[in-house]
Amino acid sequence: MQKVPFTTGYLTAHCGDDAYGTLDGYKAEGGYETARRVLKKGTPEDLIETLKASGLQGRGGASFIAGQKWSFMPGAEDDTGPRYLVCNADESEPGSFKDRLLLERAPHLLLEGILLAAFAIRAEKTFLYVRGEYGEAIRVLTRAIEEARAGKVLGPRALGSRFAHDVVLVRGAGAYICGEETGLLESLEGKKGQPRKKPPYPAENGVFGRPTTVNNVETLCHVPHIVEKGADWFRGIGTAESPGNTLFGVSGHVVRPGLYELPLGTPLDEIVFEHAGGVAGGRKLKAVIPGGLSMAVLPAGQVDVPMANEFLRERQTALGTGGIIVMDDTTCMVRVACIITHFFREESCGQCTQCREGTGWMNRIVSRIERGEGRFEDLALLKDVCAKMEGKTICAFADAAAWPVQGLLRHFPQDFQSHVTHGQCPYPGSFVLA
Amino acid sequence: MTERVRIRVDDVEYEVDAGRTVLQALDDCGALFPERDGKRPEQTDALIPHYCWHPKLSIDGSCRLCQVEVRAGADAPPKLAIACNTPVSEGLVVDTKSETVAAARQGVMELLLINHPLDCPICDQAGECKLQDYAYTHGVDHARTREPRRKAKKRVDLGPTIVFDQERCILCRRCVRFCREVTGTGELGVFDRGDRSVLETFPDEPLDNAYSMNVADICPVGALTTKDFRFKMRVWFLEDVDGICTGCSRGCNVHIGVAKNAVQRYLPRRNDAVNGTWMCDDGRLSYHEIAREDRLTTCLVREQAIGEDSPQLRPASLDEAVAAVAARLRPLLDAKGPGVIAGIASAHASNEDLRAFKTFLDVLDVDTIGLAVARGDSDDLLVEAEKGANGAGARAVGFGALAPVADRIRGGGIEALIVLGHDLFADGSLDARALAGLDTVVAFDTHRSPVERVAHVVFPVRHAAEKDASYTNSAGIVQPVQRAVVPGPEVRDEGDFLQRIGAALGLAGFETETETEAESKAGDGAE
Amino acid sequence: MIGETLRARIDAEIARFPVKRGGLLGALHIVQEGQGCVSLAASKELAAIFDVFPVEVIELVRFYNFFHESPRGRHQVYVCTNLPCALRGANVLLKGLEQHLGVGVGETTADGRVHLGREECLGACANAPMIRVGGVYHEDLDLAGACAVLDALE
Ligand SMILES: Cc1cc2nc3c(=O)[nH]c(=O)nc-3n(C[C@H](O)[C@H](O)[C@H](O)COP(=O)(O)O)c2cc1C
Ligand code: SF4
Ligand code: SF4
Ligand code: SF4
Ligand code: FES
Repeated sequence: MQKVPFTTGYLTAHCGDDAYGTLDGYKAEGGYETARRVLKKGTPEDLIETLKASGLQGRGGASFIAGQKWSFMPGAEDDTGPRYLVCNADESEPGSFKDRLLLERAPHLLLEGILLAAFAIRAEKTFLYVRGEYGEAIRVLTRAIEEARAGKVLGPRALGSRFAHDVVLVRGAGAYICGEETGLLESLEGKKGQPRKKPPYPAENGVFGRPTTVNNVETLCHVPHIVEKGADWFRGIGTAESPGNTLFGVSGHVVRPGLYELPLGTPLDEIVFEHAGGVAGGRKLKAVIPGGLSMAVLPAGQVDVPMANEFLRERQTALGTGGIIVMDDTTCMVRVACIITHFFREESCGQCTQCREGTGWMNRIVSRIERGEGRFEDLALLKDVCAKMEGKTICAFADAAAWPVQGLLRHFPQDFQSHVTHGQCPYPGSFVLA
Repeated sequence: MTERVRIRVDDVEYEVDAGRTVLQALDDCGALFPERDGKRPEQTDALIPHYCWHPKLSIDGSCRLCQVEVRAGADAPPKLAIACNTPVSEGLVVDTKSETVAAARQGVMELLLINHPLDCPICDQAGECKLQDYAYTHGVDHARTREPRRKAKKRVDLGPTIVFDQERCILCRRCVRFCREVTGTGELGVFDRGDRSVLETFPDEPLDNAYSMNVADICPVGALTTKDFRFKMRVWFLEDVDGICTGCSRGCNVHIGVAKNAVQRYLPRRNDAVNGTWMCDDGRLSYHEIAREDRLTTCLVREQAIGEDSPQLRPASLDEAVAAVAARLRPLLDAKGPGVIAGIASAHASNEDLRAFKTFLDVLDVDTIGLAVARGDSDDLLVEAEKGANGAGARAVGFGALAPVADRIRGGGIEALIVLGHDLFADGSLDARALAGLDTVVAFDTHRSPVERVAHVVFPVRHAAEKDASYTNSAGIVQPVQRAVVPGPEVRDEGDFLQRIGAALGLAGFETETETEAESKAGDGAE
Repeated sequence: MIGETLRARIDAEIARFPVKRGGLLGALHIVQEGQGCVSLAASKELAAIFDVFPVEVIELVRFYNFFHESPRGRHQVYVCTNLPCALRGANVLLKGLEQHLGVGVGETTADGRVHLGREECLGACANAPMIRVGGVYHEDLDLAGACAVLDALE
């Protein structure tokens, strides 16, 4: 079981409570009442309107408005066959571990969110794709789904309504790219998780050729709360553009790494210094990656930024998955670049030219600089490779591989230059590479 | 009727079917280089370079070379998108020349080249390599990386026909899709991820199917090459002549690659009504028969009677051979009339020669005529059961089934047979024994064959690659061919021989010295 | 050979999807777990069961980290070495484990007991460093703790 320390809000209020993971325990907290009411008396249209009004943004990294995404699905008039909901529980973005908490500790909250979303888009089935490494989550969810079937929460008359629904749990098999929604659909179909070119979009032709919506675990966990308490309540939390709480995962050189459920727009420095207790070992802050490894780093001087896209954008970075990675002043940014580029090189699915070749090239260049064999032109070369990758590929993976490198070069060129000049790492106390 | 929409690509407007993508629509209009099978781009071609897209395969969208800027209308903001997968829509504006587009293409090219081996000088694809071509036209230096290039397998024997160079592969997956979508054999796959991705077969299993060599054609680089043509010669020494394959009644269109007055290879030539962009391996390799040792190069005349010891047939001059035929047929005609003569046509003969043959027989008043054609395997893709390019042409001229002719021969009603080709034994209704008793057998053929055992006079005729003629395929499409190579001086068209024989027999309308003069004036200059 | 028990599980897996091939990833898990690897022979059998080309099964085996063409030791131990863990000493831990086991990354101990590998982020960033042993996470480790976990494996 995950031992991660967390602070609570509406999402995670009961995550410390073992009983909450059981059907009875969840019901004892009023669980499934919202879905029961909606499935029996509500309409998909109203549900979508509520979601749209709430302004909930997807929490899988792209921050797309959830209600809008649901409205792309064909309406009731389309009766050509089944449509599906896919819950993206492939959480693999380095620095992100929020979905894991929800999966392990709030499985029924997720199932209730799934039921509501499925009702909204008229899906007969949900494929819940969990990353294969999450063994505990898979065990918990398997049990929860069985309980839910036995308790008639799922089934031909879900929660006693006329709405039929079932959830199929699918285990990933170790490939980061399966978190990208169309890579995930391919994987569900028993194929290599190579993202699909668009068009067609999943809402027209998703998994098994049917209209499909893909939502992140956390996104779906917000839904029961929004439906229960109303769009206005949700709008009252966070910022005007980015409403609601989210789970910020804080890791790296902090006193209290953990998950912090806080409103979007909470300043990054507040999260790092207050909630996470500041930099460990009394050291000074050097840099923070605000949203998982795919997002551009911020130097210590720029962490006074509210954690919401409308503010982060101005600093050329983004919220991503809210995975905050904190680095102290011993940290060598070239080594950070080595890890980042190694990761993207390892995980590129390999189909697009620029991504397949660019990720490898960047990693070779960065490793060479780290070994002390760099040249000054390498900095410009790296920027150029990033430009060749960004915005030109099938999926956003290549962008995600370029952005963090661009960020490091933007804010810490001196670390790279120093390696080139001195042929060695200027940070004797830095973390080490493999 | 499909809805039509108008799109604009740079300065040219096209009206195209809705529901197509930009590359498909341009290809439909015949405006996409090089898919319209052009050797050189023309003014009217849309120049959108592409690697993974192929008109006869599913859209892959992975090479990213075909990026263009598209606007939903003249005033909409431009968006970089791949032309192979962008649907056309009314008023769509496509810009293939903007700086953004150039930069995007240049980026793809450079990234492809960083791991590409620097072995163009020894690469068999040089001259037909799309990587080389585009690198040149898009101004990319062969990579400014000092990083060591990726090492991979060289000279992998993929099967009976193909050799693979893993280092040169740019992973466009055309070959993979070909084997899955076209042949349904699925031998190839891409293993692993990222820059470790490699094209492979199932361990220790070959790439082996009836169309396997097409993968070498569609491979944009020199990663897949045919064993047949590998290192034979540099492609820029080849002259390219339009021809057809004569292996079966499909009549697949081919580029005949010629050098030193010899056919060096066949490559499929695109014809969507006939073969699309493919051809079968047997047909592709059939060019070898043109210069095979058993080609007939002179007329042959029989000295002794059938059944006596060899030498039965000896080389003879044209005049001797023509005279020999006349000497045999004239008395027979005078004594017994045309009723004892039979004519068998071949599906290997051209329309022109078949018409000449029919005219000859008509003038003689021979009415025991038929068509001999060999049959073999067929498949759902291209290969037809009828092994000869012109069965349909022969039937159109008036040559029907072989059975009535065979019956009359076996029944003893025939004394002389004039036969084109050597397929008369193919269906088993006739054999050498059945012909052994004939007074006269005159054969016209390209190669030595069992017909020789019973023939009294044999004329050496031209292969389709050696003549200007036409053939009618199984769908009734008449396909012209041009002379690609010049055969030996004694090898002529059936029609030419028949003309002379007719003249020697004194038939009305037949004269000597026909095409020969014109031909020698034109010069035997295909080399 | 995919025996009857595994075959029954594969059939049950297939039944969960509207299209047969949907069960292929699950089937690969079943074979990998049941036989310790997905051998070439098993790949061919799976290809026949799922009506796909054998090479497509190998494509999957080589695409997904979970599947291997040959067995890798009784226990597969992976150290997360992505940034959050690396910042907290994951690579020091990894080197310690290499010494402790006497094998390098990607290798299996001579007795076939433990395969040691490194992995990308496993979603345990706040409890770094950590190791994954099969489907079980061991978090907030120091070298002594990690060695103890490995020593307890059969
Ligand atoms: C390379 C890449 C990896 C991704 N990984 C994940 C992931 O692990 N989990 C996730 O929920 N979304 C991931 N996403 C985002 C998904 O593509 C998709 O936007 C998301 O699942 C949609 O759900 P949401 O709208 O509820 O956020 C990833 C995207 C990319 C480009
Ligand atoms: S951008 Fe990278 S990960 Fe995404 S589809 Fe292309 S190659 Fe695969
Ligand atoms: S071998 Fe040729 S056709 Fe096949 S993927 Fe490689 S480059 Fe493309
Ligand atoms: S299908 Fe027939 S015509 Fe076409 S290449 Fe094969 S043998 Fe020749
Ligand atoms: S031709 Fe369009 S992406 Fe390759």
